[in-house]
Amino acid sequence: MRRISIVITLILMIATLSLSVKTLRIWAMGEEAKNLHIMAEKFMKENPDVEVKIQAIPWSAAYDKILTGIAGMQLPDLIQMGTTWMAPFGAMGVFEELTPYIKKSFINKDMFFEGSWQTVTMDGGIYGIPWYVDVRVMYYRKDILESIGYDHAPQTWNELYEVAKKLAKRGEKMYALSLLYTGVFGNEFMPFAWQAGGRIFDENGNIRVTDPEFVEAIRYYARFFWEKLAPVGGANVLQDFAAGVVPIFFSGPWMVSLIEKQTPQIAGKWSVALMPKNKKRTSFVGGCNWVIFNTSKHKELAWKFIEFMTKPENQLEWYKIVAALPAVKKAWEYPELANNPIIKVFGEQLKDAKSPPNIPAWEEIANAISRRVEEAIYRKRTPEKAAEMLKKDIEKIMR
Amino acid sequence: MKTNWFWILVFIGPALALLLIFLIIPIFASLFLCLTDFNVRAMVNWSNAKFVGFRNFIELFQDELFWKAVLNTFYCLAVAMPVTVCLALMNSVLLNREQTKLKTFFKTAFFLPFITNTVAIAVVWAWILNPHYGVLNWLLGIFGIEGPNWLGDPKWAMPSIIMLVVWKAVGYNTILFLAGLQNIPDFLYEAAELDGASSWQKFWYITLPLLKPTTVFVTTMMIIGYLQLFEEPYMLTQGGPLNATLSIVLYLYRQGFKFFNLGYASSIAVVLFLMIASLTILRLKLGGQD
Amino acid sequence: MRKTSVFNQIVVHTILLISSACMIVPFVWMVSTSLKYPDEIFVFPPRWIPRNPTLENYTELFKSMNFGRPFLNTIIVAGCITFFSILISSMAGYAFAKFRFKGRNRLFFMVLATLMVPGQMTLIPVFLLMRYLGLLNTYTGLIAPGIASSFNIFFMRQFIYTIPNDLIEAARIDGAKEGYIFFKIILPLSKPAITTIAIFTFTGSWNSFLWPLIIAQDERMYTLPVAVSVLAGQYVENIAIQMAGSCVVITPILVFFLFAQRHFIKGISLTGLKG
Repeated sequence: MRRISIVITLILMIATLSLSVKTLRIWAMGEEAKNLHIMAEKFMKENPDVEVKIQAIPWSAAYDKILTGIAGMQLPDLIQMGTTWMAPFGAMGVFEELTPYIKKSFINKDMFFEGSWQTVTMDGGIYGIPWYVDVRVMYYRKDILESIGYDHAPQTWNELYEVAKKLAKRGEKMYALSLLYTGVFGNEFMPFAWQAGGRIFDENGNIRVTDPEFVEAIRYYARFFWEKLAPVGGANVLQDFAAGVVPIFFSGPWMVSLIEKQTPQIAGKWSVALMPKNKKRTSFVGGCNWVIFNTSKHKELAWKFIEFMTKPENQLEWYKIVAALPAVKKAWEYPELANNPIIKVFGEQLKDAKSPPNIPAWEEIANAISRRVEEAIYRKRTPEKAAEMLKKDIEKIMR
Repeated sequence: MKTNWFWILVFIGPALALLLIFLIIPIFASLFLCLTDFNVRAMVNWSNAKFVGFRNFIELFQDELFWKAVLNTFYCLAVAMPVTVCLALMNSVLLNREQTKLKTFFKTAFFLPFITNTVAIAVVWAWILNPHYGVLNWLLGIFGIEGPNWLGDPKWAMPSIIMLVVWKAVGYNTILFLAGLQNIPDFLYEAAELDGASSWQKFWYITLPLLKPTTVFVTTMMIIGYLQLFEEPYMLTQGGPLNATLSIVLYLYRQGFKFFNLGYASSIAVVLFLMIASLTILRLKLGGQD
Repeated sequence: MRKTSVFNQIVVHTILLISSACMIVPFVWMVSTSLKYPDEIFVFPPRWIPRNPTLENYTELFKSMNFGRPFLNTIIVAGCITFFSILISSMAGYAFAKFRFKGRNRLFFMVLATLMVPGQMTLIPVFLLMRYLGLLNTYTGLIAPGIASSFNIFFMRQFIYTIPNDLIEAARIDGAKEGYIFFKIILPLSKPAITTIAIFTFTGSWNSFLWPLIIAQDERMYTLPVAVSVLAGQYVENIAIQMAGSCVVITPILVFFLFAQRHFIKGISLTGLKG
């Protein structure tokens, strides 16, 4: 048996060589890695001279794997790159600049959501093509909100605060909403800053975190903790949501299937809504982009695969496989997406969503933001003072 | 009597060669970075890194977060080490008694924390420490104690981390002590018994002195290991709240692998190395190991 | 059999029971969670025994990948590392404990010093070295760095240190060569230490995750923990599958440990000393 398989392998190898099959190597993570082979098979059917090899990388160590891969120049042709990782790895100078490819292709900027396109643009160049998007929205328990007299999700900052007050009054150890308060939560905090009209840098690169809008966001965020409207310590969002202890939280589309699968007992009792409005309702857009490494020997082929994955019909197919939200706007017109009440909210939110500044220092800035907002949450500093310290931190980082 | 160089080479050579290739040379290579400003732009093109002398160290000594991390790490060492040693020693002595039953069961139990995957167990611990539904506070509640908000309170976060650290280390060190105990010849105890020694006297005058090489080993490894505290805060708290659980290596990891300031990170490694080395030397000198 | 009072026995066993219960509780919770349907995971008060246990989380893990190859890889890698590491470390440990030569202590401290630099620092240099040596994606690349263990050398040195010098001197006077002394006297007497180290080294390399992932350039070189964590899914929130994944990785180790247990209990026969 073994000998036969060796012979077959040898024959296959020789056949492979004689047909000069080109191999496209891809690194993918998580659910994507598990299911990408379905798309790859379709691609190979259309391109019989190509073999797609997918290597699955666990998320938990993907960062280190990519880093060592770059340091040792042992890289695949194509990789799935998280949007917040674009800048740090991109700054290492290993991403292929894609403008020349885009010029002769059907792919163009206007096909994608604006916030998503932001994540592939760095220093004026294009270093990736959006694959799928994540956007944060408000998850809420319809039944619990109804029980305190609301038949809709809170629409504005003020309304959210009022609702929160009432929710927390339901009893001891009852809270209103879940917000991150420790670790790195720059990405969770920034939507509030944007909603208030705040920003980190202005057009001229000046640091603007001490502007009243930004400070207002810190105060609004921290106040939920000061008044015990948001829990602190070791909580599990899903558990709290299902138990009704914390009936509101903000998260991305991946939570939809998790709630459906892991807490079926609350089916039909929850829904999603747009972020609450202050000046705007801006949310955070993330997701993954396709990136070609400039060490690749099959760049044209890699580009071909990107084009394949960008076609609206394939975007739809991918949505059907893992429920990842399409980055291509056209794909949202298919009934599968357009007629799904929950997905529609995400589509709506995507029109008002931003990503943080695409600079390699972002991770460091996000750390500083978390540290200073945390100090405000724990009342170590006033929001004004925290913002001042944050400004100093960012000045130091950008030096 | 001096040993023949041939035999020294035969016995130490292979180990040293491997250490040289896979540890010593790479360590020197990475420590060299502490004198440069090696950062994200130098990762692929090394010529982008500049020699900066001791600038990293000057900045490090003025870095408030670094000192916070040093303080936290030593706090962990100061509490976790004595607790671990006492518990492990107690367990191993009890297990080594001839009359103790169910030895296989106990040893397997002590072995479990060591083999259990850290990622999965961190999830379990977060659940155990949950202030509202956690088993721990539920248990304390039975005794009428209202448990604290373990991971959410800056005062209690480090003790929670220490709890996990000790939990992981006790079983492991129990097994190490056990190996040492099994090397103590039975006839010494038998002789002592003939002289009418009590159990306590036997422990104090036979077990402890003869266990010294193991104790030296165990405590030295603890100094080295605990000062490199990383996984537990990384998994459970990411250094928070209010940086109460930020450890030196966690800070190093953040600087080097999240911000790609590898030059700065390696200066942290150098300072950490010097701290561990001096404490280790002190420990070995106190232990009377030449 | 020495006599012991019933009271003593009760105290001793109570202490041991309490401390082993502390060790087991998180583990039991892990196993129990891995057997639960999603709706039972977040129930309070906690349910230690699932009301209707399921193997679904395990089938979910197994259906999408063939675990044969990663399992075999892990056995080969962990087995080789354990064997060579024990051999080399006990040789070095013997030399550091019983040989007399100039610079011994300085050399020994250098070995120790390698433990004082966090592993993260050497990750990239060792990877570059492996690429230079052409060992990426090979078993040698997976195994070689694991063999060099300062911890094992130190432990063996401390253990062999306690073996009486008279025994060795007597053999030397009888004209025994160092090789003979090492294999016929030192190794047999070091059995408790070797068993301990064997278990730690095997477990450590079995669970090792980051290095096998980094050195593997295609999935055929993946080890069990890497393969499992790929399948355990994208988000930590998927608790049951996480737990099932860990159980899959742990079980072989547990079997191995129970098998190795026998060697622990027997302890060391001291005939060489007594006679």
